[in-house]
Order: sequence, then structure tokens, then C-alpha cells
Amino acid sequence: MLVVFVLLAILPLLTRSDYVTHILILILIWSFISTAWAYMGRFGIVSLGHGAFLGIGAYVSSLLFNYYGISPWLGMIIGGIAAALFAGILGYACFRFGVIGDYFALVTLAVGEMVALLIIAFREVTGGSLGFTIRNLNNAPLYFQFTNKIWFYYISLIFLLIALYVWKAIDRSRMQKALRAIGEDEIAASCLGVRIVYYKLMVTVISAFMTAVGGVLYAQYVTYLNPHTLSGVGISLAIPFKAILGGMFDLWGPTIGTALIVSLEEYIRIAYGTKYIGISEMAYGLALIVLIIFLPKGLYGTIREKVEGRRAYL
Amino acid sequence: MVEQVLNAAVNGLLLGGVLALLAFGLNLIFGVVKIIHMAYGQFVMLGFYLIYALTVQLHVPLLISCIIAVAAMGALGVVTQYLLIDPLLNAPRLNQLLALAGLIIIFENLAMVIWGADYRGIPIHFPILNFGSLYLRSSCLFAFFGALATLALLYVFLHKTYLGLAIRAVAQDAEVAQTMGINSRTIYFVTMGAGGALTGIVAAFFTPIYTVHPHFGSSFTIMAFIIVVLGGMGNLLGGFISAFIIGIVTSISAVLTTTEIADIIALLIFVLVMLVRPQGILGTRVA
Repeated sequence: MLVVFVLLAILPLLTRSDYVTHILILILIWSFISTAWAYMGRFGIVSLGHGAFLGIGAYVSSLLFNYYGISPWLGMIIGGIAAALFAGILGYACFRFGVIGDYFALVTLAVGEMVALLIIAFREVTGGSLGFTIRNLNNAPLYFQFTNKIWFYYISLIFLLIALYVWKAIDRSRMQKALRAIGEDEIAASCLGVRIVYYKLMVTVISAFMTAVGGVLYAQYVTYLNPHTLSGVGISLAIPFKAILGGMFDLWGPTIGTALIVSLEEYIRIAYGTKYIGISEMAYGLALIVLIIFLPKGLYGTIREKVEGRRAYL
Repeated sequence: MVEQVLNAAVNGLLLGGVLALLAFGLNLIFGVVKIIHMAYGQFVMLGFYLIYALTVQLHVPLLISCIIAVAAMGALGVVTQYLLIDPLLNAPRLNQLLALAGLIIIFENLAMVIWGADYRGIPIHFPILNFGSLYLRSSCLFAFFGALATLALLYVFLHKTYLGLAIRAVAQDAEVAQTMGINSRTIYFVTMGAGGALTGIVAAFFTPIYTVHPHFGSSFTIMAFIIVVLGGMGNLLGGFISAFIIGIVTSISAVLTTTEIADIIALLIFVLVMLVRPQGILGTRVA
């Protein structure tokens, strides 16, 4: 474990290439977000609407900065709270009325699309489909803007570590036991006196808050916001994709899945993207389907199972 | 204003007929194969492009190219079942969903590669009918009655043939159906093939009404989902009625507000139905 951390800490110093650093930053930010998604996903609360939280976080923070000059560091917390409140209302309604499983996935999918449409509908403020650019201050650490990518790398790394720590903290808490019981059999858990709505709501709110923070990270890094890349069906499905392909039941699963997907995306884009527009995306879609058919437990999950299986055999 | 709303209501009603057909296919697949077909609208998009390519680019007569498209989309449905859904039948629901989402990426970019991002339409001109202050596109009228006729045929197929009975049996309980000598895997292939052919038919009815572009399908997938949920998943009659409700509501709200707000209203209906009445307007709650 320590080796991994040390390696992650010195990686950008080893490469000295802006491009590689850029890819690493993208991996870290999206790992953070897909880890936050997996807080819920691994207990069987499958949300297909995390684009909503991502969009709320990013837009709240960036609009506050552009219009009122509020620092994105503060905006990150405000955006996170806004997303958490939204998740709280949505989650309470869903869990109170017993919307679970597929139905929960579909409701959240619709909500993610609704937020994207709302962002487009209020185009006077948000720029609509064209998106908008965050005001450029060059190098202003207090306003979360850096000219050197290396800062973004270390900040995203710290955030990812926080996300992994929160995962561990959830694991150690009563919440984990309650949610596992709920995931196994919701009715049985409720009969044993587990407060279903309370625990599910807790984990949803935490996940939404973290996802919104991830949205702010991403927005600050690319300094451009667009409803199609930050909200809506596409991104809402892309987040669970990463977590599942890595293995959403394992601490490092979402991170490994993200590294795999982002590298794959980049590789296909570099190798074929300029020559055949569209074909590279088709190859990407095909790769996703093949991976999901042949690695249903995710990359990390499958490897771990193999290793543990061998150990048990010996 | 009143005239506009009235016009929108009538056009929404006509659109509802085609939407009912679209939702029927999605509902059938959900009811029988028990998967949520995320890429259903993209099937319609591909069918549309196929008709476009055959008539405009290869100068095949429209009717023949529609028939070819229906057959090709049926075949595509079977291929999808074989390559994608069959291997994932016992996988977690989420994996099935995401694999089909991967199919969306492939289909949309396939259309992008072959036909580009431009809007493509088939130049057939149906006259516009005029009843007082009411203006009707006869193409919509044609699509409406065509969709209703197709639905009637489907109803007869499901209720009067042995294969239809087998499909309904698998929809009710695949395991028990198997003990009655029905091969449910074969039925899955039949259903996916029929569902695919339906998208070809929907595409044929859409050709005089819309123009197609690579992202044409996604809004129809969402629309079909909303209808299916409103009517109750697996409930075909409920889906039929709610198609008209959604058709009318969206086209009236599109006239009164913007298209985005109209879509938001439709999605809001979806979410509220899910929360308050997940069994749909006609369904009965199963414990």
C-alpha cells in the first residue's frame, strides 16, 4: 500500500510531460467521482443520476465565482451542500416510498437528465448547451486556479485519498453493517429494526456531496462547463461504468476501473481519433461491452477472486 | 392561443399513436426478456437511416426500402440478443443496462461515420389538411392509423397464435413456461426480433414526419420509458393509454413553454409516477 502512495506522489516528477500529467489528473478526478458513486453502488443502491450531483456542484461553484467572485474553494462546499440537499430530498422521497432496485436506477436516470435540461433551459445564466468558461485569473491559488498542472495533480491526489479514507470510515461505522443488511434483504433488515431510510439517506447524501466536490474539481481543471459533459444521461452512465469495470465492491476498484477507461479512451483517441472520427468512439463502445461481458465482477474484483481462490485451493 | 393549444393537442394525440407502438416494443422486451433496453431509440434511428440510404441514396422505392428496413431491424434485434443480451442474461441488472448503453455509443457513432452529423430527411410531401382553424399533417394522420393497425395486428398475434401464447407465458413466469415445454431462450430471441422489427416499423412511420440525425434516438428512448412506466411496466394496455397522455402533454407544454421545459415536465411525471404509483396508472400492486 505504501509503495502505491509513494509511486503516486512521485509519478508526475518522473514523467515531466504535461500530457501524461494531464491524463493522470483526469484519472485522479474521475477516480474520486467513481469512488464516491461506489459508496452507494456497492450496497446495491444503484444511482444512474450522479450527473445531477456533478452538474449541481460544478455549476453552483462556477456561477458563484463568475457572477459574485466567490472563491471556488468556498463554492466547492456550497455546491456540495446544494447537491447533498438535492440528494436528501430525492433520496427521502425514493426511500420513503420504497423505490428500490431498477426503479431507483430509472428515477435517478430521469433526475440526472432533468438537471441537464434545467441547465440548458436557464441559458441566460448558464450559457445553455454552449456552456460557459470560468473567468481566468491565471495563477490564483486562493481562487483554485493554477498555471502549473502539478498543483492540480497533488490536489486531486489528496482528494482521492480523502475519498478512499471516507470509504474506509464507512466500512468501520455502523452504517456499513446496516447497509449490508439492507442490501441483502431490505424487508428482513427492516423487521430487525434497522432504520432503512436513515442509513440509505446518509450514504446517498455523502455520495452526492463528494460527487459535487468532484464536479468542482473537474470544472476548475478544465475551466469550461457544459451540460452534456457534466450532467445528463451520458455522464451519469459513464461514472458507474468506471466503477463497475474496476470492481465496485473493492476499495481500489473504481480507481483501477477509471485508470483503465481513461487510458483506453485516450489511447483510442490518439491512435485512431484524428483519422476516423466516430470509429474511435465505436471501438470504445465495443471495448466497454466486451469488458462488461467478460469481466462482470470488474477487473480488480476478478483478479482478487482468482488470487484468493488459488490461496484457498493451496 | 386556444387554437394553438388545440392544434398541439390533436397533433400530440396523433404522435401518441406512434409513441404507443414504440413503447409497446420496449414494454414487450421488458416484460418477456426482463431487460431494460436502453438502446431502443437508437434502433429507430438506425432504421430511419436505413430507409433514407435505400430510398435517397440507392433509389429503391420507398415501400420496398421500408420492408427491407423492418426485416433488417428485426435481424439486428436477434443479433443483439445473441451477442449481447444472451451472455448477460444472468448478470446483474446494472451490467445489462451498461452493456446496452455501450451499444448506444456504437450505434450513434456508426451513424456519424456513415452519414455524418447532418439532418437527413426523405422528401415525400403529404398535404396538410385543414378543418376550420385546425391544421393536420396528413403524414401524422397516416402514421397514427398505421401505428394503430400495427398494434391491432400485434394484439391478434399475442392472443390468437401459439407463439403469442408462448410469449405471454414466458412473460408471466419463464420457469413455469419452461416446464410446459416452452423454450424460453427461443422466446427471448423471437421477442428481441419482433421488438427490433417494431423499431423498423416506427422508423417507417417517422420518415414523413421527422428528419434524422445521429442523436435522434435518445429522446425517443426516454419518451418510451416514460410511457412504459406511466402505464405500468409490462402492462401493455396501460402503455397504450399513457402514450396518448404523454403525447398530448408534451406537445401542449412544448407550445406553451420551451421544448426543454416540456421534456422536464414529462420527466417530472415519470418521477412522480415512480414515487407515488410505481405500478402505473392501470397496474395492480404486487406484494
